[in-house]
Amino acid sequence: MHLERLDFRLQLRALIRKELQQILRDRQLIFLLFAMPILQLFIYGFALSPEVDRLRLGIVDHAGSSISRALAASLVVNGVFEVEESGGTEAQLARKVQDGQLDAGLIIPADLERRYRSGQKTRVQVLIDGVDANTAGIASGYVGQILAAFNRQLTTGTQLPGELVAPQITFAYNPGLISSWFFVPGVIALVLNLVSTLVSSAALVREKDSGTLEQLLMTPVSSLQILLAKIVPLSFLLMITVFVALMVAFLVFHVPFRGNLLLFLFVSFLAILVGISIGIALAAYSENQRQSLLTSFFVNLPVIQLSGAIAPLESMPEIFQWMSLLNPLRYYVSCVRAIILKGVGLEEIWPNVLALAAYALILLSLSSSRFRKQLK
Amino acid sequence: MLSAAPLADGRAEPLSPPVVAVRNLRRDYGAIKAVKDISFEIQEGEIFGLIGPDGAGKTTTFHILGGVLEASGGLVLTMGRKPRDMRLQIGYLTQQFSLYPDLSLWENLRYVAGLREVDGAVFKERAWYYLRLMNLDQFPDRLAGQLSGGMKQKLALCCALIARPRLLLLDEPTTGVDPVSRREFWDLLSNVARDGVTVAVATPYLDEAERCSRLILMHEGLVLEEGSPASLKENLGCHRLELRSGRLAVLERRLLSVGRGAQPVLKDVQTFGDRLDVLVTETGAGETLVRQLASGSGSIDRGAGEDNGGTLDLDIEVREPTLENVFVARLRRDEPEQVRLPFPFSPSVASTPGSTNAALPTFSAIEARGVCKKFGSFEAVKSVSLKVGYGEIYGLLGANGAGKTTTIKILCGLIGPTAGHMALCGQASDLRRESLRQRLGYMSQKFTLYDDLTIKENLEFYCGVYCVPEKLKQERIAWVLRSSELTGQGGLLAGKLPGGWKQRLSFGAAVLHQPEVLFLDEPTSGVDPLARREMWKLIRDFARQGTAVLVTTHFLEEAENCNNLGFMVAGSLVSEGSPSQIKAEQPGTLIELTLADLPAGYAFLKENLPPWRTSMFAHALHVVLDEPQIELPLLREKLSRGGHQVLTERPLPFSLEDCFISIVQRSTGKTV
Repeated sequence: MHLERLDFRLQLRALIRKELQQILRDRQLIFLLFAMPILQLFIYGFALSPEVDRLRLGIVDHAGSSISRALAASLVVNGVFEVEESGGTEAQLARKVQDGQLDAGLIIPADLERRYRSGQKTRVQVLIDGVDANTAGIASGYVGQILAAFNRQLTTGTQLPGELVAPQITFAYNPGLISSWFFVPGVIALVLNLVSTLVSSAALVREKDSGTLEQLLMTPVSSLQILLAKIVPLSFLLMITVFVALMVAFLVFHVPFRGNLLLFLFVSFLAILVGISIGIALAAYSENQRQSLLTSFFVNLPVIQLSGAIAPLESMPEIFQWMSLLNPLRYYVSCVRAIILKGVGLEEIWPNVLALAAYALILLSLSSSRFRKQLK
Repeated sequence: MLSAAPLADGRAEPLSPPVVAVRNLRRDYGAIKAVKDISFEIQEGEIFGLIGPDGAGKTTTFHILGGVLEASGGLVLTMGRKPRDMRLQIGYLTQQFSLYPDLSLWENLRYVAGLREVDGAVFKERAWYYLRLMNLDQFPDRLAGQLSGGMKQKLALCCALIARPRLLLLDEPTTGVDPVSRREFWDLLSNVARDGVTVAVATPYLDEAERCSRLILMHEGLVLEEGSPASLKENLGCHRLELRSGRLAVLERRLLSVGRGAQPVLKDVQTFGDRLDVLVTETGAGETLVRQLASGSGSIDRGAGEDNGGTLDLDIEVREPTLENVFVARLRRDEPEQVRLPFPFSPSVASTPGSTNAALPTFSAIEARGVCKKFGSFEAVKSVSLKVGYGEIYGLLGANGAGKTTTIKILCGLIGPTAGHMALCGQASDLRRESLRQRLGYMSQKFTLYDDLTIKENLEFYCGVYCVPEKLKQERIAWVLRSSELTGQGGLLAGKLPGGWKQRLSFGAAVLHQPEVLFLDEPTSGVDPLARREMWKLIRDFARQGTAVLVTTHFLEEAENCNNLGFMVAGSLVSEGSPSQIKAEQPGTLIELTLADLPAGYAFLKENLPPWRTSMFAHALHVVLDEPQIELPLLREKLSRGGHQVLTERPLPFSLEDCFISIVQRSTGKTV
């Protein structure tokens, strides 16, 4: 008997090497893997959070106290807002905002001082010109952010906990648009999801498309090896994608990295597995690359929309918020934000990590068993 | 000479200027000279063939004739003018299907007609005429994408004809089309030529080339030979001896050991499944030599082992040479035959080297009993039983849709049968086991190699998945590169190779691990005759080492290379046996008739006999008669009453293609 003994690792090595050679020779996939994340980060990071400044702000101060003046000053101090003539009354302020003479209006109630002293919450009203939705969103975001900072200042001064000044924003349908910091983690999640599903479905469907799958099935490799050879190199390359995205976030957008890098890489790996599983499922149900690409739009768009990566989940109707619990990407987005921006550790985000891991495991086994069944 | 008297090769003396005149045509692509210097003329009403190996410049020539490419030099006139100006008069069928798969037959026709400024009543009349002629008139609303390969080509031909071109250019129109559809397609071409359309056709099938009125053989941008099939064969100056013997391998070795130099009478030896073809310059001297060798007298190099010098049984038949003989002989004159490097076999389970067919397992390599496969309610394979032994080459033949591909997939274990018993390498259960698959080699109909990997990377990949040990790997990869004439080209992307080379390389990749059982699904499609012959030598080498080979092909001339054949029709295996057996068992006789007015006589016979019994060749008709003693006189009488004068008649041996057509027709029973 001179047949050579089959060697699992030897075969897997040959399969993985072939897979890497194919991916690295495919300019389109290389573009998807490395150029698209950078491009997307730039587009979302810059286009959706332009530096808006010198917005015209009118103030009607019914309180006329030192706190109310401090509040108005805090809005102006960083150059985002410039105080203009408000007209003196609420009605006139409202008209000026409506007419577009002012971008935003702030109404400070008369009892601000009294309520502050007694530690009660005060509502200030913010009017925003909603014609330019983007500017409106950004203006409202700034107001919210500045008031939050103002709150912190007040509470540290008085050592009283909680919010004291709560903005009540009239056009605030988009409370998330704070700055590129908010976007960048979301875009990392979005890009990772898109790229991993596209690349993995392309790698599998291509084999089906060209007829080489049949040939592969006649070789003495197991379907487990075939799948492993698809998943391992892709996971590796996608981890590089994550790194690239992180570098862009850090160098271009100066996003602080406050958390644990290892934890971040681990949750990213889980998200990659989720993406690859979706890709495998797409490939199992498609006959050719075009079909899998088109189907991926139907899957990826809702997954991204309902993840909180772009639009905050809190701004959605409740039913969609509930639905988002079924979305693995949602957990990744909150993990990434928490790790990068808040710098929290596993002790805080473990429920999200656990949910993500569970999804990765379930989806991977479902999609690969589906694909393997097809191989038989 | 005053009138249109027929010339020696049957061609009429040209009265009108040639439809195509090519003088000293050149075409370069950068430094590559695709067409170096060719001259030829095509007369009105001819079916003019271009044959030659891959890369000979045939497609480039067609592009120039079609007016889509400019010549680099020389003169090209179609109907007396530049091809570009005559494009409305030229119909062009390219190698790829040029139809829109999501348009219906009718819509495809209307679209092409619109482009060529044919519309209204004229379009309708012509569309129906051609659809009826091609037998496509039952379903004008069917989408082109749903047609079979043969029907697609017929529709493409309709599209090319809709503008009533005077010149029709066909670039390998029947590649991938099964023999039945191919014969039908050529019968149609005869009709078209009869309508006064001049046809120029490139084909890799030499049996098709037999049906051209004139041919040129192209090689590396030059014309090597020109003439009618008959004159080409005559110019070869050789006779073909068909040798049959119980111990063919021994006879072959003795013939080859004589060598070409020592015996000038012996020009070529070619091995087939159950016979040897020997080309000799003189029949008498050739026969004497062969008989001498068979009897074991004279100086024979005994070679290894099994030739004990005894007398061999021998049966000799004298035949006329084939076009393939012409093709191979002419190309060999320019390029001396390369020394073939044998596959570096390592001793395997099935055999030990040097003792061919010894110590083979007693069980069959492939055994199927009553195998069925149903897809829903459709029965793709109906109770097929066959056995392939170690060292045997078994050819599975059938038209498209006969169930060949499904059968091969069952036989190699890719899909399980719905019913029946299957055994591979003596094992009846768990045919998908990896250790069993390692003993199989498989070359699929589609491309086996990865287009986006280099040649070397592909071969290394297959070595890896089959666990070919490192010490054998380099040697075998070198062998594949050498046998497919790609030494030093390992860094080339596989996708960049022309079809013929790809196939040869795929074959190499499929046998890298020296399989015990080899499945080849149309291995030679798109491979030129010379390379095809080399590939069959390799296949035979493997069989002699004990490998069982199961092969499908559309080239019936090369099915002669198989030891045994099985014909499939509509999912059933209807006929089985060695090529000689199949031909011998074929009922009836093939009669060659020459008539004064061939096309008219052909049309007449088509009406009076079942259509499959007649087909038209360049200068004669072939008619299949079950009982010629009774039928032939009747037929002669019928013809003369119809005003058709029979010039000559003679019986011909059946070719495998004749057998195939008649087996298919008799078992479908439609037209008998």
